Amino acid sequence: MRRDRGERPFGYLRRQPDELQAEVDEELRAHLEMRIDDLVAKGMSAEAARCEALRQFGDLEYTRRYCRSQDKRKETGMRWNLLVDELAHDLRSGLRQTVRTPGFTAIVVLTLALGIGANTALFSIFNSLMLRPLPVRDPAGLALIQNGSWSYPIWDEIRARETDLFDGALAWSAQRFDLSAAGHADVVDGAYVSAGFFDVLGVGAARGRMLTPTDDAAAPDGPVAVISHRLWQQRFAGANDVVGRQITVQRVPFTIAGVMPAGFFGPDVGLMTDVILPVRTAEPLIRGKESRLSRTGSHWLQIMVRLKPGQSVEQATAALGSIHRLGELEAARGRNARSFTLVPAATGNSPLRRRFETPLRAMVIAVGLLLLVACGNIASLILARTMTRRREFSVRLALGSSRLRIARLLFIESLLVVVMGAALGLVFASWGSAFLVRQLNTWQSTVSLDLVLDWRVLAFTAALACLSAIVAGVVPALGFARVAAGDTLKDGGRSIAGDGRLFVRGTLVVVQIAVSCVLVVGAGLFLRTFASLHQLPLGFVPEQVLIAELNLQASGGLPESRVARVERLREAAAAVPGVRSASVAAERNLTGAGSGWSAGQVGVGDAPVSPTGRPGLWLNATTPGWFETMGIPLRSGRDFGVNDRAGSPYVAIVNEAFLRRFLHGGRPVGQTVRIGRSELFGFEPNARFEIVGVAGDAVYTTPREGMPATMFVPMAQRKPSMFWEEVALTIKAAPGKRALVERDVATALTKADPAIAFTFGTFDQLIEATVTQERLIALLSAFFGGLALLLAALGLYGLVAHSVRARQMEFGLRMALGAASSSIVRLVFRRVGVLIAAGLALGLAVSFWAARFVGALLFDLEARDPVTFGGAALVLVAVGLVAAWIPARRAGRLDPTIALREG
Amino acid sequence: MLSALSSGPTHGYGVATLVRERSAGALEVEDAALYQALHRLERKGLVAAEWGLSDNNRRARFYELTTEGRNRLRADAASWRRYAQAVAAVIEDA
Repeated sequence: MRRDRGERPFGYLRRQPDELQAEVDEELRAHLEMRIDDLVAKGMSAEAARCEALRQFGDLEYTRRYCRSQDKRKETGMRWNLLVDELAHDLRSGLRQTVRTPGFTAIVVLTLALGIGANTALFSIFNSLMLRPLPVRDPAGLALIQNGSWSYPIWDEIRARETDLFDGALAWSAQRFDLSAAGHADVVDGAYVSAGFFDVLGVGAARGRMLTPTDDAAAPDGPVAVISHRLWQQRFAGANDVVGRQITVQRVPFTIAGVMPAGFFGPDVGLMTDVILPVRTAEPLIRGKESRLSRTGSHWLQIMVRLKPGQSVEQATAALGSIHRLGELEAARGRNARSFTLVPAATGNSPLRRRFETPLRAMVIAVGLLLLVACGNIASLILARTMTRRREFSVRLALGSSRLRIARLLFIESLLVVVMGAALGLVFASWGSAFLVRQLNTWQSTVSLDLVLDWRVLAFTAALACLSAIVAGVVPALGFARVAAGDTLKDGGRSIAGDGRLFVRGTLVVVQIAVSCVLVVGAGLFLRTFASLHQLPLGFVPEQVLIAELNLQASGGLPESRVARVERLREAAAAVPGVRSASVAAERNLTGAGSGWSAGQVGVGDAPVSPTGRPGLWLNATTPGWFETMGIPLRSGRDFGVNDRAGSPYVAIVNEAFLRRFLHGGRPVGQTVRIGRSELFGFEPNARFEIVGVAGDAVYTTPREGMPATMFVPMAQRKPSMFWEEVALTIKAAPGKRALVERDVATALTKADPAIAFTFGTFDQLIEATVTQERLIALLSAFFGGLALLLAALGLYGLVAHSVRARQMEFGLRMALGAASSSIVRLVFRRVGVLIAAGLALGLAVSFWAARFVGALLFDLEARDPVTFGGAALVLVAVGLVAAWIPARRAGRLDPTIALREG
Repeated sequence: MLSALSSGPTHGYGVATLVRERSAGALEVEDAALYQALHRLERKGLVAAEWGLSDNNRRARFYELTTEGRNRLRADAASWRRYAQAVAAVIEDA
């Protein structure tokens, strides 16, 4: 075989099937003719000789077919062998090339790793949040009742029919559980679940047992809990005897019955549920008199069903509809009643999804574009290198290598670096995605995604790598296609004519500039959004304020006792040295939520109005002194006093936004406010509140939602039986003392009430939390925008440097003929200007079109904000000019004699 | 047949003639079988083929042993010889 290849050294001359046939025919014909000649020479007649020759030959037709098939098999085998040989050779040669130029390889691999890493990181978040099915048996058979949460009586109705209408049903409620025994709260994500939860999901225990229907009845050996694999490892160090040990949840002891399998974190994607309790027994134990099991008005459970084999989601929805009692229960909600509709829930349930879907998508597109720029750069680099290797390729061509073969060699070289880049990218991605998810954590809530490199992520990365290899590898191969065999050997790089190959790179640079422009515009928009959100006035002074979130529920006691308890704790905190003032409010500002009033009418005087919007009126309840502690000014009237207590006439303080909204003129103090269904908030039905003061406006939920109309009532006037489960002890520390007083306050609180559970936080953290999403987007887009800009600048620089080098001879000539160096620089810049202008025009047009998709993510800013667009254009032009200036100046300083000599 | 090629490149007709001469007619090989064998050997890489001109200026396909073919011939010939000697020894004893 070696010999055969030796016969055809210049390219591979393939023998086509019909050629093979003709060869066999000719060979056999030659044989017969030679035999006939011999026989005739022996004296036979021509006719007799022909007959004799055929007789001696035997089966001619079969032989012909047989030989042909043998030849064909040989040809195929050879072709394969040749291909494998060639590929191995190309691979070796590619490896040599990557090792020979370590700098080049490093740059390319790093660029790619960044691009692929960023893409994979975001995709793996996207995958965990949106795509991956729950790690349970047959996740496709699960369906969730959509539109929020449901009351326990509703769940009771569904549970009664779970086996007859479905293949089982399950309910759960995500909770924050305090695992501490005293003092500082130690909060983890947990859940109450129905007893059949694990059975219906099909999740088995890693240790001990999961919950069973018997856990719905009070167990003889006390209440039980199930913990996550993670908690087992972290809190119990993976102890073998963990089953049977005690765990304190919300100050109630539970016995650990089992450990969930690793990788199962409950049905809420984005939470890592560490402690799971059976709802029927544990909830009344923890919440005591405030248990929600029998309350029809408390909506707190998520409900899923498992479809029967062959049952469609629509059929299951219809089956739910057949439970008439459900409709009746829900109808009690009046105009807020919802329908019972099932949706497929193979990927579980996640409140994060809606919140992060748009930003994630925007980011995925941004990093996709970034990868495109990176590939463009690499293509450009490889192309440039291809040019410097033109001699090598010319020699290869002259020796008979086919263009296809050289293109393949180039492609394999880029494939090699791409594979290295992708491998490194995976490493970056696993860091990056973990980092990104950590950015979503706030004091309020932890976001935990189980980020696993599953086949989806790996397939995605592989696809990206292939795409990169194609983009980065094919373009240089195309650019190379114009090299003719003798051409470069002759001119050896000396030419004064325009270089056609630069056109390919020019196009690449235009695309790069355009893509960078899009990313820079995006970064500008998001940065300005973040900045304006960050600088929004809050209406209060957060710097000195420390908040101790008191969990009255977790530490036992009847609701009625809480008024006195809270007062005792407040006094203890106020007595700590360094504390200026301490007061209590039912709601913290800036949590993103609060007590809103959308159910009833609000009226000042005798003209009630139905507020619209989300919600029409925000409520808060405070102790005296809260406005002073928060630094919210009182515009007129007075603060609440100790005399505003249970039994005394209802009073209220409203803010200026309230006046603008509900009170049209007139003196506010002394007027009365009526709010419909005030009994739901813990007051007499149709209560009237006398306005005793007007406070300045302050942000209530998030800066994004501004300063809404708010009404404040005294905490003490609420029905003691409906006292809040959690209140915010608001402490104003002396300037610079906030961090110091925290420990003393903790000691004082524990001393005053050994059972109390509390968590400290500051408004600074809350402010950070409310803009988490914006901060993350701004951070990422600025990073990606900057990276794209850098890559585009490098691409432009490379192109200009190369074209200057290619035109060195021409410039030398021009200067020798008297051209000033400034005119040479102008010459270079004219060409660069065209590229930048084209890239900018394209980029701005695309940004203009794409802007409408990010509108929802912006604040106080038009998506097509001309300032941002103009700014982005300016930045790009500046960066482009700098990138081009360096090589252009070099061209201007060229010494004509040297340039002409060297060519 | 390999041995027929061992003296140098030969076309199919030449091989047929050689085989016939060497066996002095004792081995009557059909030409069909000969060509099938040649092409089979070529596929296996034991012989290589090339177009050339015969003595009387006719275009013919010339076969030649490859290195691999030569090795095989040596091995086969040795084993044949051993076999033939064994047979001869048995016959003599009888």
